[in-house]
Amino acid sequence: MAGKLCVSITNAKNDADRATVGFVVANAAVGSAQETMVFLSTEAVRLAVKGYADDIHEEGFAPLRDLLANFVKGGGTIFVCSPCFKKRGLDEKALVDGATIVGGAKVVEFLASGAPCISY
Amino acid sequence: MDPSVQADDVWDAGDMGCGELVFLLAQRTRALGPGKVLELVATDLGAPHDVPAWCRLTGNALLVANPPHYFIRSKES
Repeated sequence: MAGKLCVSITNAKNDADRATVGFVVANAAVGSAQETMVFLSTEAVRLAVKGYADDIHEEGFAPLRDLLANFVKGGGTIFVCSPCFKKRGLDEKALVDGATIVGGAKVVEFLASGAPCISY
Repeated sequence: MDPSVQADDVWDAGDMGCGELVFLLAQRTRALGPGKVLELVATDLGAPHDVPAWCRLTGNALLVANPPHYFIRSKES
């Protein structure tokens, strides 16, 4: 792949617009042959739980469930903030495909390799 | 677990994770001295990915990763 990109998302149903646009950009990056990692932290960790995103459909965009599935199918990876996930009492056995629970060092390693990051 | 790896010190970090875990891990390995082996016990869900990433970033050697147990040799300099 040509390069790397991190898309940091911190919103879920509290701001479905930002959550959706984050994945739209992530799909654009994957579609542009970039090694793309979506970092879900704070409220956005809820997006990593199967079924949560099923009813998020912002006007003018594809349903978030489809954006998420396409991103993973296209080769994108999803890192889920461990303490954010734990704090919310979410079920690690119900993660969406392609999602991995990680802590700071894994994110730092990706960014330290020279990947720029865009935040939503 | 590899029985040939002997730890010079053991740190049970419990469910500590993310930035707190690696920050204190850096202090622990530094305090232990070069070439020494620390056995880390960390149950955080992110640790299986974080501990190897931290070792790659910092140049400390991950001798054994058998979550929640990790044996780390501190770098020589």
